[in-house]
Amino acid sequence: MTCEPIAPDQWRLSFTEPEAGFLVNVLARLGKHYQEDVARMPPALRDYWQGTISRGGVAGQDDLKESQEVLAEARAELRAERLALVENWIRDFELAEERDPWKVEISNTERDEFIAMLNDRRMFLALELGITEEDMEAAPNQIPQEARRVSILEIDVLGHFILVMLGPQIYRP
Amino acid sequence: MSQVESMRGAKILTPRLRDIEVAVALRATDPRTECAGYHGCIPSTICAAKPGTETSPDIDVEEKLKEAFSRGWSVIVWNDPVNLMDYVVYVFKTVLKMNEKDASRHMWEVHQKGKSVVATETREKSELIIHRLRGFGLNATLEQA
Repeated sequence: MTCEPIAPDQWRLSFTEPEAGFLVNVLARLGKHYQEDVARMPPALRDYWQGTISRGGVAGQDDLKESQEVLAEARAELRAERLALVENWIRDFELAEERDPWKVEISNTERDEFIAMLNDRRMFLALELGITEEDMEAAPNQIPQEARRVSILEIDVLGHFILVMLGPQIYRP
Repeated sequence: MSQVESMRGAKILTPRLRDIEVAVALRATDPRTECAGYHGCIPSTICAAKPGTETSPDIDVEEKLKEAFSRGWSVIVWNDPVNLMDYVVYVFKTVLKMNEKDASRHMWEVHQKGKSVVATETREKSELIIHRLRGFGLNATLEQA
């Protein structure tokens, strides 16, 4: 995958065929997730989409309860927006005449949204399986459960995609 | 309740704006004169004190106004095992308009201390920041400073 600036507000992403195949698969799963009923999600994912606006607790604080409800509603809208984006990306892929490499031109805003969506998938995988900092730092062969190992690999590959897109502004200590 | 309004393409949370509108409307119909600040009111605002009484509905109005416009609400970002350091720096720069140095400093604070106060703003603005940070997958919460 490459990401190159082609104008002040324009980027060209280029994916090899296997990368594009992987990406479309990820997007399809994201789309499915965005359509799921939050109430039926595992607790960790439900918290991710509803969460608490304050860790200090909101019991008895009516104003904060209201803020939390508003935040949850805004999060629900965000899911609908992201679903529409996912569908656009998949449609672009299906309509593409050339898929090796598959090239997509996007604006700064679209790049930000795409990065955030890929990060959503990383978060969902981690929350679903309760992936810890130790898991993320372990070598793949040290993770005994296959589902966990595969998810960590997917998190890593998506992290690579994100870093490629952040390329020009990567932090260097 | 108007939950979410669109402003410059971004989402803004505005549940209490109506309270403020109500307060302004109350002021417009209040026959009393402006206060010089003798009763603990904000000078040049409608006086919250009523002669011979200890409480007034206006006190609530003043409280709401003060709360809505005071920059006493902190946005805290918490550590998590998945978000990349470079990504967190990018989000701070994008959402909070931090420069590279400040964004990196806050990222390290989150990583090493488990959390960082990344903004102290009015409540409305803090809620908007939290929504945007969460949109990027960061765990952000609101606390009264």
